[in-house]
Amino acid sequence: MSAMSLRSLNLPGVGTKYEFETDKGDTVAIFFTKTGTIQMYTLQKDCHTPSAAEMTPVEARRLGNILTGAIIEADQESVEIAFSALADLRVTIHSFLIPKAIAGRTIEDLQIRAKTGATVIAVCRHDRNIVNPPPAFVFETGDAALVIGESDQIRMFEREIMVE
Amino acid sequence: MEGIVLALFVCLLLALITKYLSVPAIPFYILAGVLLGKAGLGLVTSDVISRFFSEMGLIFLLFFMGLGLKPERIAANRSAVLTSGIIDLNVNMIIGFVAAYLLGFSIIESLIVASAFYISSTAMAITSLIENRKLMLREAETVIWLMVFEDLILIIFLAIISAGNQNLIVFLVKILGVLAVLYALAHYGKEFLISILDRDDELPILFTFAAVLTTASFSMYLGVPETMMVIALGVAFATTDPDAFEQHARPFKDVFLVVFFVFFGVTIDFSGGINWYMITIICLLAIVSKLISGILTGIFIHGSVQSGLEIWGNTIGRGEFSIAIAVLYGSPIVGTTIAAMVIVTSIIGSFTAKYSTSLRRGIMHFGRKKSPLHRVHLGR
Repeated sequence: MSAMSLRSLNLPGVGTKYEFETDKGDTVAIFFTKTGTIQMYTLQKDCHTPSAAEMTPVEARRLGNILTGAIIEADQESVEIAFSALADLRVTIHSFLIPKAIAGRTIEDLQIRAKTGATVIAVCRHDRNIVNPPPAFVFETGDAALVIGESDQIRMFEREIMVE
Repeated sequence: MEGIVLALFVCLLLALITKYLSVPAIPFYILAGVLLGKAGLGLVTSDVISRFFSEMGLIFLLFFMGLGLKPERIAANRSAVLTSGIIDLNVNMIIGFVAAYLLGFSIIESLIVASAFYISSTAMAITSLIENRKLMLREAETVIWLMVFEDLILIIFLAIISAGNQNLIVFLVKILGVLAVLYALAHYGKEFLISILDRDDELPILFTFAAVLTTASFSMYLGVPETMMVIALGVAFATTDPDAFEQHARPFKDVFLVVFFVFFGVTIDFSGGINWYMITIICLLAIVSKLISGILTGIFIHGSVQSGLEIWGNTIGRGEFSIAIAVLYGSPIVGTTIAAMVIVTSIIGSFTAKYSTSLRRGIMHFGRKKSPLHRVHLGR
């Protein structure tokens, strides 16, 4: 961490610039412009022309999720949060699209907690969110379930529950 | 009244088109004004309402400039700001002044032309850096600070020229007095100001508008011009929450400034004849002199001519401040000359800003091509 020196700079009329050089000598610069967009530049060591990408705030957050180690697939997205104060506790939150095979079954009946240790904390159905679904909750096809647990438990959920 | 509506409608269409093509809109607003106004079809004439709107545009432009000037920031970057700023000032002011004087303008007129000639468009330079994704280039920072320095020089210029017949020292003391009072108000009223700006209702925007207009109206009693008053207000308010003030003043600035540009075009009068020869020379020199100052800055700051070309490419466009100078102090013939210069340089500038990277690459390529030939020649 100490090798990386982050430089932040306020540019009049433009916005805020953050820049740092990696151990290998590449440079990354991020600009939060006053127009509301975020521009990211990367400059390879010994190279003169940077390449740039312009992002909306939502896209920038998505990129941030990827960089912090989350896996994002087409419809599935996962975030790992580490609490360094709590003995480096790591919790993963992962979204799954409910397949036909388990549609019509309940959380209790699938024995999700007993089999995997993971917990379903929310279900998104037709753009409505059901937070903390009860054990008797019945899945339907098209539901997206948000599952929380340690990464092993999430993997177990994917293997044991999603294929039934 | 119908005139303003027609002009605004045309500007709305132009804004849509220029944003789509990502070219600066200012030259097209002025051209639209010329076409609709006195010199063109005569569909739109300036009246009390348009003059009031235009004045608002100028006031809000300068208030914005004041908000962006943070004296402590400039002090922190003194050396970088000074070197590039002084090169840019000397080269362009001298070329602009000598050219205007030799072309037959009086000394005062030549000074006004030279100032408009010197000052690049901050809005165009910054938009071009963002839109052409050049923020990371080392020249970008130089360009940004150059714009800040130019703004400072503009303020000094406005102060000197608007002093008129008054004793300059008395005048400067008055301005400093106004600045001190506004600073004190902003300092002691900071919590009150911030509590107003934080509200969700109409208060923040109403307060911003009223504060700017009230300050401008005080100029009558103090003998300090409106321009100086609103810049000072901007500088003072910048010590509280400049982002919030920018946000609340932006709608006024955006709308009134468009009226300001289009009615500047409307009032342009060709009845005195247009001296195409003179206009062509000024426009060409406006591009060449920024090339000279850009290359010198590139060599002194970055040790590279190519950096100089990059700086040049982004600072060719003259815009809002040149027009402001023309409106405030220009005679019709000075106004026409500055208008032509703004239109030509801003259109050319938008292309050089977009293609400066390929231009640099082309020059590097050319350099590389030349060297082996050179070697072959030496080998023989």
